[in-house]
Amino acid sequence: MKYCIIGASAAGLACAESIRQADKSGEITVFTKESSLPYSRPSISYYLKGAVGSTEMLLHPAAYYRAKGITILTDTAVTAIDREHKVLRAGRKSYPYDKLCLCTGSKPFVPPVKNAAGKANALTFLEIATVKKIKAKAGKNTRAVVIGAGLIGMKAAEGLSKICKSVDVVELAEFILPSILDKSAAKLVKAHVEASSNIRFHLGNTVAEAKSKGTHITGVRLGSGEELPCDLLVLAVGVRPETSLAEAAGLAVERGIVTDAATMQTDDSDIYAAGDCALSLDMLDSQKKIIALWGNAVKQGKTAGFHMAGAPQQAGGAYAVNAIDFFGCRICTCGLIHADAAPYTSKVQQAGGSYKKLVFCGEHLVGFVLVGASDNAGIYTSLIENQVDITTLQGDLMDTPHIFLFEKAVRQQRLKGEESA
Amino acid sequence: MKRVYAKEELCLNCRLCEVYCKTAHSHSKDIVTAYKKEEPAPSARLRVSGDNHLSVAINCRHCENPKCVEACITGAMTKDKATGIVYVNESKCIGCMSCLAVCPFGCIQTGSFAVKCDLCRETGEPACVKNCPNRALVYTALGGEQE
Amino acid sequence: MSVNYIPRRFDIVRDNERCVQCGCCVRQCSNECHYFAEGGKIVLADASACVACHRCVDLCPTSALSIQKHVCDYRENANWAPQYQQEICRQAQTGGVLLSGMGTPKPYPIYWDKMLLNASQVTNPSIDPLREPMEIRTILGRKPRQLEVDAAGNPLGEMPPQIILETPIIFSAMSFGSISLNAQKSLAMAAKNLGTLFNTGEGGLHPDLSDYTDYAVVQVASGRFGVHKDYLENARMIEIKIGQGAKPGIGGHLPGEKVNVEVSNARMIPEGSDAISPAPHHDIYSIEDLRQLIWSLKQATQGKKPVSVKIAAVHNVAAIVSGCARAGADIIAIDGFRGGTGAAPTRIRDNVGIPIELALAAADARLRDEGIRSEVSLLAAGSFRCSADIVKAIALGADACYCASAPLIAMGCHMCQTCHTGKCNWGIATQRPELTKRLNPDIMHERVENLIHAWNHEIKEMMGGMGINSIDSLRGNRLMLRGIGLSEKELQILGIKHAGE
Repeated sequence: MKYCIIGASAAGLACAESIRQADKSGEITVFTKESSLPYSRPSISYYLKGAVGSTEMLLHPAAYYRAKGITILTDTAVTAIDREHKVLRAGRKSYPYDKLCLCTGSKPFVPPVKNAAGKANALTFLEIATVKKIKAKAGKNTRAVVIGAGLIGMKAAEGLSKICKSVDVVELAEFILPSILDKSAAKLVKAHVEASSNIRFHLGNTVAEAKSKGTHITGVRLGSGEELPCDLLVLAVGVRPETSLAEAAGLAVERGIVTDAATMQTDDSDIYAAGDCALSLDMLDSQKKIIALWGNAVKQGKTAGFHMAGAPQQAGGAYAVNAIDFFGCRICTCGLIHADAAPYTSKVQQAGGSYKKLVFCGEHLVGFVLVGASDNAGIYTSLIENQVDITTLQGDLMDTPHIFLFEKAVRQQRLKGEESA
Repeated sequence: MKRVYAKEELCLNCRLCEVYCKTAHSHSKDIVTAYKKEEPAPSARLRVSGDNHLSVAINCRHCENPKCVEACITGAMTKDKATGIVYVNESKCIGCMSCLAVCPFGCIQTGSFAVKCDLCRETGEPACVKNCPNRALVYTALGGEQE
Repeated sequence: MSVNYIPRRFDIVRDNERCVQCGCCVRQCSNECHYFAEGGKIVLADASACVACHRCVDLCPTSALSIQKHVCDYRENANWAPQYQQEICRQAQTGGVLLSGMGTPKPYPIYWDKMLLNASQVTNPSIDPLREPMEIRTILGRKPRQLEVDAAGNPLGEMPPQIILETPIIFSAMSFGSISLNAQKSLAMAAKNLGTLFNTGEGGLHPDLSDYTDYAVVQVASGRFGVHKDYLENARMIEIKIGQGAKPGIGGHLPGEKVNVEVSNARMIPEGSDAISPAPHHDIYSIEDLRQLIWSLKQATQGKKPVSVKIAAVHNVAAIVSGCARAGADIIAIDGFRGGTGAAPTRIRDNVGIPIELALAAADARLRDEGIRSEVSLLAAGSFRCSADIVKAIALGADACYCASAPLIAMGCHMCQTCHTGKCNWGIATQRPELTKRLNPDIMHERVENLIHAWNHEIKEMMGGMGINSIDSLRGNRLMLRGIGLSEKELQILGIKHAGE
């Protein structure tokens, strides 16, 4: 059996490992257009600020893949999928497959900034290779401008703030981290970031135009008219699912590659898709959406891998859960956080620098936002994932969640490591 | 695999398990030094939940299919195939706490890296169990039943 | 703030170099002496409620704590000792009877310490218990004057019920209510594993102890708490409690707040009601009445259970014991005035009754004189601190010894004498769930067993030294005892010679 996997990040690697777990002899080949062995993509901002080296970022050493019999083909961009002959094309080379999984992830969405395209100091923030370039260009006199205050932009800004003179973050929305925070929490985090760093925000604003000298950008003009000096422009507005191969091969693609949630099969039964490129079915609101998160990619990769190897396993429902920190301010969010209208209700607790919002749908918890209050957050996540009836719980759910929320019989089970009753 | 099972009906809320855990995970292995001198300060890998009336020590279940390992974005959290122990490679962990966000049992604590029970894998005998004055913690493979 | 006229008794000394502020002491002290200050950064102590139970000392992971006697001098006065002044102040405040727990701490003579044991030299060989069999098995019960057997050796006629013990040590009466169920269960488990008995006191038998009924002595006391058919039939022995060494002549009072659901079920009384044991049994006003109760209990159990009568050691003990024997008791337990209690009026505990040594010697002598010694077994009770005390008691005439304080100490008791407050930090003399869970029967039965195993070894060593290889040969063998520093009268009562004689 020949298994091919395109993409070597969370989903791709989980897929390969799961196949190997179920099929000891099949041939597994993982294609990546990057030069590195699978690495921790979310760590790139930590690499930027010098918290981890490039070796620590590798998920596994090369020997691991040899031992597992997983071939990782680096610098190998798959250019086409020939479904008829079940062959992949990468430049002039061809690779036959029996089962294929697309784990192509995301591509950065590059906003149209006048005069920025092609400039040497205008870079995106998604791959280790470009981050290495950013790191080479940044210095203690660098004035950096980051476009986008989402997860990627904010992490880029944090990484840069440690090594640059100043960082200006320009964001179209009225508040930062809109995908994981509500407005009040965002305000709190923004205040914390401003107080602890050299980052300044320009919210409700855009970069209209870049000013340059030769191939170098020297400044930017904002939509508001304000001008900022700029030695380094990081374009981190967001990402889009990388679906071009799938589309070219004629697979069903909507906002992402369409799959069956239980198997991750596409409309071609020998082709699977997992991770940020594939659509997920959010178990909390039954919406099809892209849940571009590491944990979700791993789960989907596993589901795909086991199914490809003929050993299908029960797939859990998909939902978003995210943990991140900025300058020591811990943020933890899960599920539906912007669900403010009926049938949803929410409870908010704010004290000092911490913020807690729980979102309910009837008797069930469906989302939370925790800022500076993330202790035992996983217990909330477990309540969400298992759709626990919160009227069966004891004590105040707004306190730090703990085992005594549950009645004795459930506690005994949880102490044994069984999550749901 | 052998795990640490906690019995709430015997837990005294003395929290000596935390003291001895912290010490076992210190450099000096001496309680006073570990608490007063060491930088960075070592942390206890388990936490007692509750009060004198009802308390229990919460520590990692070393799950069969650990959600923390699935959620780990750096490969720092792994489950040892041979021993079943789920542990953190501290040099790889960036402290994002994605593991904490998904651990259904609340067994992971924040720190500069994810702080969790490693079953004292270097010494082989969990310090919390060894030092529990009331045998409220047992180290057994029998699902928490008496050995 | 009202003035407290009584200085604190102890100081809590904290070695701040070693204290790591873990707060174990704060959480463990039920008297709330230790507390966090400065927002949890430091731990301080106010010793005014300290009872020197050592819970904090023993659990402190860095040995940073010690308890010291608090020195606060009064003007010297041999008559008005500080203790009396303090007790007066306490009563001036409360208007109540002073209560105490455990046995009297007063420096009355302890005759065990004034008797010495013999050992064999030259004229008869001593025995090495590690090399030769040494019998400490003890059989309790009425022994027939003669036993007829058939040609094959089978007894003709009925043998009164006998109890075979693997040690001469049994656990004295402590009710569930006065001690926690966990404490009682620890004793029950130990009794089973050691081949001896525990005693339910007047607290009834909790269903959790149903596995241990073969090792249970069940009491029938003046309150009749928990007495029913199964209680009597499942027990190994029935004991009519007339009196208790620590509080002869008075009844008992378990306050309603200690009568929780479990205690109420075991005692068969309403939850929250005071459990009052009257001073006398209201159906026993004479030896003849006692005889009736003994026979009633035997009838109720088809004569299969030996019946014991427990009395406090009082002035006329010898005659009373004789009366009990004649009333049909199989076993008589005599409880000396140093015996323990969960709660007793201090004045009674410290002033009423006589020492077990004298009572035992007098009773044994009287029964012998009357020729009825073999019709009863004598149990001695009232403070046995070590195996030598036991050996001396047996030489004075006891068949076996009731021990309670010693196993409690094995389980953590530090003799702080505040059992009556219900705040026992060791989970023994309390019904508070947050305290009773501190006593894990799985640990404590082992500790109690270790203690009794150790004492058994020592008893065998001492017997061997005397050249005795069976405890039956030690029983009443007063030649093995010599008094030291005792008056003629004391020697006469004890029935022993002085050292050197």
